[in-house]
Amino acid sequence: MRVLRSALVVARRDFTSIVLTPTFLLFLLAPLMMIGFAAIGGTGAGQLAQHAGASERIIAIVPSEQLRAFAAADTQLRRVSGPPRLVISAGQDTRIGALGRDPNVLAILTGSAERPRILERAPNSYAGRYLATLAETVARQGLARAADTHAASNARFETIASIGTARAAQSGLGYGAVFLLFLLSLLLGGQTVGMLAEEKGNKVIEIMAAAAPLEGVFLGKLIGMLGVALLFVTFWVCLIGGGLLFVHAQMPENVAGLFNLTPAIGWPWFIALATLYFLSAFLLLGSVFLGVGAQANTVREIQMLSLPITFFQVGMFSLASAAANAPGTIWASVAQWLPWSSPFAMAARGATDARIWPHIVALGWQAIWIAITIALSVRLFRAGVLRSGSGGGWSLPGRRRANNHP
Amino acid sequence: MSDVVVATGLGKRFGDYRAVDGVSLSIARGSIFGVLGPNGAGKTTLLRMLMGVIDPDTGTRSLLGSDRPRDVAHLIGYLPEERGLYPSMTARDSIAFMGALRGLSWAEGRKRADVRLETLGLGHAPGMKVRKLSKGMAQMVQLVGALIHDPELIVLDEPFSGLDPVNQERLEALVRAERDRGATIILSTHVMAHAQRLCDELAIIAGGRRHFLGSVEQARALLPMAVRYRPRVDGDAAEMERLLPDGATRQDGEWRFALADDGVEPLLSALVAAHHGVEGLAIERPGLHEAFVHIVGKAAAEKAS
Repeated sequence: MRVLRSALVVARRDFTSIVLTPTFLLFLLAPLMMIGFAAIGGTGAGQLAQHAGASERIIAIVPSEQLRAFAAADTQLRRVSGPPRLVISAGQDTRIGALGRDPNVLAILTGSAERPRILERAPNSYAGRYLATLAETVARQGLARAADTHAASNARFETIASIGTARAAQSGLGYGAVFLLFLLSLLLGGQTVGMLAEEKGNKVIEIMAAAAPLEGVFLGKLIGMLGVALLFVTFWVCLIGGGLLFVHAQMPENVAGLFNLTPAIGWPWFIALATLYFLSAFLLLGSVFLGVGAQANTVREIQMLSLPITFFQVGMFSLASAAANAPGTIWASVAQWLPWSSPFAMAARGATDARIWPHIVALGWQAIWIAITIALSVRLFRAGVLRSGSGGGWSLPGRRRANNHP
Repeated sequence: MSDVVVATGLGKRFGDYRAVDGVSLSIARGSIFGVLGPNGAGKTTLLRMLMGVIDPDTGTRSLLGSDRPRDVAHLIGYLPEERGLYPSMTARDSIAFMGALRGLSWAEGRKRADVRLETLGLGHAPGMKVRKLSKGMAQMVQLVGALIHDPELIVLDEPFSGLDPVNQERLEALVRAERDRGATIILSTHVMAHAQRLCDELAIIAGGRRHFLGSVEQARALLPMAVRYRPRVDGDAAEMERLLPDGATRQDGEWRFALADDGVEPLLSALVAAHHGVEGLAIERPGLHEAFVHIVGKAAAEKAS
């Protein structure tokens, strides 16, 4: 109980001391720099997309006997609305896969005017609705000739993503998740050790060590920084998520279609799991940083000690990236089981594999390793902070004696 | 009075260096106990071991009835030798934080901080950032933080260093007030004047070992009474040294020597008979400073031999 209470006191102090300062605003807005660079790249991409707009088209693959009727109906309808250029051909729908991968193809109609199948980039798209109206017009003309007054056309709509490049897009999404989790956990996990350096420098740590269980101090520092990390992530998820939704609504259909990818597990699960895996990665990395960082007394020593941890984490990132790009391989399995790469690799798995149970197993597995890591790091932290001698801690060469002579 | 602290044979090494070597002591409840010693004597290491901040290599200790000092950490107030405050926090929040670590609510800690700083003449300080406080003010803030939860045991490591005379007096009054409240105080210092005025009992540590344990009066009693004698007619040095006891020294026309067992009267008779007369005579009990120098000097000589 005392451990938890002290942890909350330390966490509260750390959290408020970071968040309620002007420098936190700088920290919070630091990704703007990254977004700025992305925006520069985005401008180029936008110009490319505008250029691509000239070759946008919709496709109708219809029975040869309806070919002329479709062309006539298109000419008639085009007078009142201006859809992209229509390419009509007769024949079977064997080319749909290739056409679906072409981002300039906004919608494809196959089948007869009476029973058309319409493939579109986004549900209820203008291009899809235009093709449905086209089929309806052709079908009605046919019925009028036969003096039939029944319903003319019964269109079936599908999205092109479901037939084309979904798998590759999901892999890309998985890699994106790996990269983002790695970047965030490394940046924010490394912050924990910076505060510890300050406390060792100004001797506050000794007061804390005398007043509260060191386990509580350790957990408090971890929880405090976790709070900062969650605030940071929530801020940017809301900002970027809202921004994307807005931008998506404003995009041309062919560009918007490119963003219509859904992780295999679905967005709500994917976001929830990514958050949990971020927490897991942060706790694993943050506790190691705290335990090892406690051995250092200066910022320079902290940088020296942090470097191997960073290299190790980059290795785990590479492994998880390989897993994201090659789901189902042995490397993917290794990355998913190895505790340090597991959070990243499992987040990537959520993009390509719809099953939930592997995530429950992985989270349990990671929880065990978090407990082990924290237990070991607390021991290291205690030895480093107090140099308790019998605690089995270690020290930088030539440092211990100098530090311990009171 | 029951003992609040009992230590037996405490020892601590750092590599080849023996910081504390078999120190035993006991401290009565409601007393002010001084831990005195020269720089590097092992005082801070001893205090850290007593509080469970570090573990001893040898020996046992009991604090407030517990063999596990960290279990009673919330009943202790600690002012470490090296001061530690967060520069970006206000004085009020710094004190409340230290109270919260010991189980006091933040709100109560803030309330008490305002009252106690006001009492110490620092009514303007609660809202100030620590980085804006003078060294002395910051030290008083930290002291208030150590006492904010009304601890049963207060450990003050070199509390007077860096304080001006006014604040030193305030601190002395504060220490007495805490003792009167019922708290037990352990005071580490190498300024003997404070220890002599405040301490009920003390231990003198040198080279990691305890060389004295007892009251201030007992420490002073280790040295004989000192005599300061100023003759009306000074003789040559050889003659005076013949008349005065062994070890007599002359300084600014005044002779100093230890009081003999048979008192000063026979000597005075001899001096008057030799026509030196008496212009001034003082018989003084040596202070804690002299006792400390004597004990520590003896310890150093023993170690050297």
